Amino acid sequence: MRLTKDDVKGIADYARIALDESSLDAMTEYMNSAIDLLDEIKQFDIEGVEPTFHPIGSLVNVMGDDVEIDTRALSLDEALHNAASTHERSFRVPSILGDDGGDR
Amino acid sequence: MELEKLSATELTARFSAKEISAKEIAEATLTNIATKEPQVDAFLELSHELACARAKELDEALAKGEELGPLAAVPMAYKDNMHLVGTRTTCASKMLGNYDSLFNASCVERTLQAGAIPVGKTNMDEFAFGSSTESSAFKTTKNPWDLSRVPGGSSGGSAAAVAAKEVPLALGSDTGGSIRQPASFCGVVGLKPSYGVVSRYGVVAFGSSLDQVGPFARTVEDVALAMDALVAGGRDAFDSTSQAVVPNFREALLHPILEEARPRRVGIIPELLQQEALTSEVKAALIGTMEALEAAGCELHELSLEHMKAAISAYYVIAPAEAFSNLARFDGVRYGYQVAGAKTLAEQSAKSRALGFGEEAIRRQMLGAYILSSGVYDELYVPAQKVRTLITEDYTKAFEQVDVILMPSAPTVAWKFGTMDDPTAMYASDLFTISNNICGNCGISVPVGLGKDSHMPIGVQLQGPAFKDAELLRWSAAIETLRCEIAGIDPLGEPSFGGVA
Repeated sequence: MRLTKDDVKGIADYARIALDESSLDAMTEYMNSAIDLLDEIKQFDIEGVEPTFHPIGSLVNVMGDDVEIDTRALSLDEALHNAASTHERSFRVPSILGDDGGDR
Repeated sequence: MELEKLSATELTARFSAKEISAKEIAEATLTNIATKEPQVDAFLELSHELACARAKELDEALAKGEELGPLAAVPMAYKDNMHLVGTRTTCASKMLGNYDSLFNASCVERTLQAGAIPVGKTNMDEFAFGSSTESSAFKTTKNPWDLSRVPGGSSGGSAAAVAAKEVPLALGSDTGGSIRQPASFCGVVGLKPSYGVVSRYGVVAFGSSLDQVGPFARTVEDVALAMDALVAGGRDAFDSTSQAVVPNFREALLHPILEEARPRRVGIIPELLQQEALTSEVKAALIGTMEALEAAGCELHELSLEHMKAAISAYYVIAPAEAFSNLARFDGVRYGYQVAGAKTLAEQSAKSRALGFGEEAIRRQMLGAYILSSGVYDELYVPAQKVRTLITEDYTKAFEQVDVILMPSAPTVAWKFGTMDDPTAMYASDLFTISNNICGNCGISVPVGLGKDSHMPIGVQLQGPAFKDAELLRWSAAIETLRCEIAGIDPLGEPSFGGVA
């Protein structure tokens, strides 16, 4: 299956990357050539094989004690330090719903 | 005394014996780096203040007779995806160009606890996406053996800094070969430990089931020294995949594998030697190493890893998928590049990501987004994880027959700048290293000499079973011992560049 320019535009929207019209052709070409490289995995018999999502198969969910770990907690100033735009004790963002209230 | 030529092991011994102060080591190292950097460009940031403050502490501790760690007074460099307080952590991306580290990564913290002197952060492919360090948004690191060639990647800055003798020890990270391939290209030793041996806490994530931190050094002994420090203290509570590993790496090296009476079994994979991409000089280096091991009394066993040829495909499904989900956090709100003037949050995120990420980082995320999309997930992602099971089973069977597997680290020596412009062709150059990450096994590149045609370093790769990292280092030491007996290549020697030896 070949991806079309429209498919790639849709993927970019999903990935939240604002690709401009001029870069879509090159991206479409790249995506199709990368997908060709992936086809090899389809040539093996994987019927009945369990997937390995992680190299340490015996992993179990690790639950921590419900206590505050001071060494990991950032102070408010630290937490805001790397943000481009802040307001008092908060990160500042533009309208989430958009002007028309209909954006994602 | 030429400090730059000393190994980490020698440096810390001389410091402990009070032959040289930490202040002298720190100052000499920074001066040396200042001389070489204009040509090599291995560093994105130098941490003069941290280094000098640390040196002062070390000198005071020594004067008071306090106990010193195994890395006391060893100058170290860190790949710029590792948090070190007092430096930025940029991942060589415009996205994180101004990002100040707020805490120390556990791997960084453990080397500091062991007494290392932090001298700076090294260049890398942006977010570790690449095999040449050329995708860095900030600078082009050169291979110290030939400044017209790439250092490899993605941990190219760390490999080049060690090869250029700017530092004796550096940390890198390896998701698909990003420690072993630049180690091979730069003529240094580079270990990718088994998954779970070194904590990933505080290292900016690329592929969470594949990433592993490991050291670069000029000797296997120095790699062992670093590993003892990295695993000291047991499992890291901040990384749920971290495992408790006994710090017995240096101790293991006291018992040379070549002096053992038991059969020592090395696996070789004949079909890998037939790979089209493999150059004749890399092939010659591998065959020379096989012959030298056999002459030293090791048994060579031919193996077939049937599913290894699918490793690249499986990797380029799994790694971009994991990268896409990890890099979704860069939305320009809490940290990172943010465009001005966007009307909505969605617009701000999409534009910030388009302008903050470089080309390859965008390509990988696009591929990951596609792979994780409905329908494609079942067609590619799940099969890739099943192929991963098959590859892992192949290795498990292989390690019932052999102790270690010998193969190339990379199919070629370091290429010249501008000669690798097709991104998917570059992906294929990872064919020997990738399967190791897929299974979580340990792997190392050990330099054996210079290619006859290119006069560039060539490393051979040893792969071992998961959590047999100390054994892998014993085998690496054997290769190091045999280095001058390997036929078909020229002696390794030392890089000399721009008149600075």
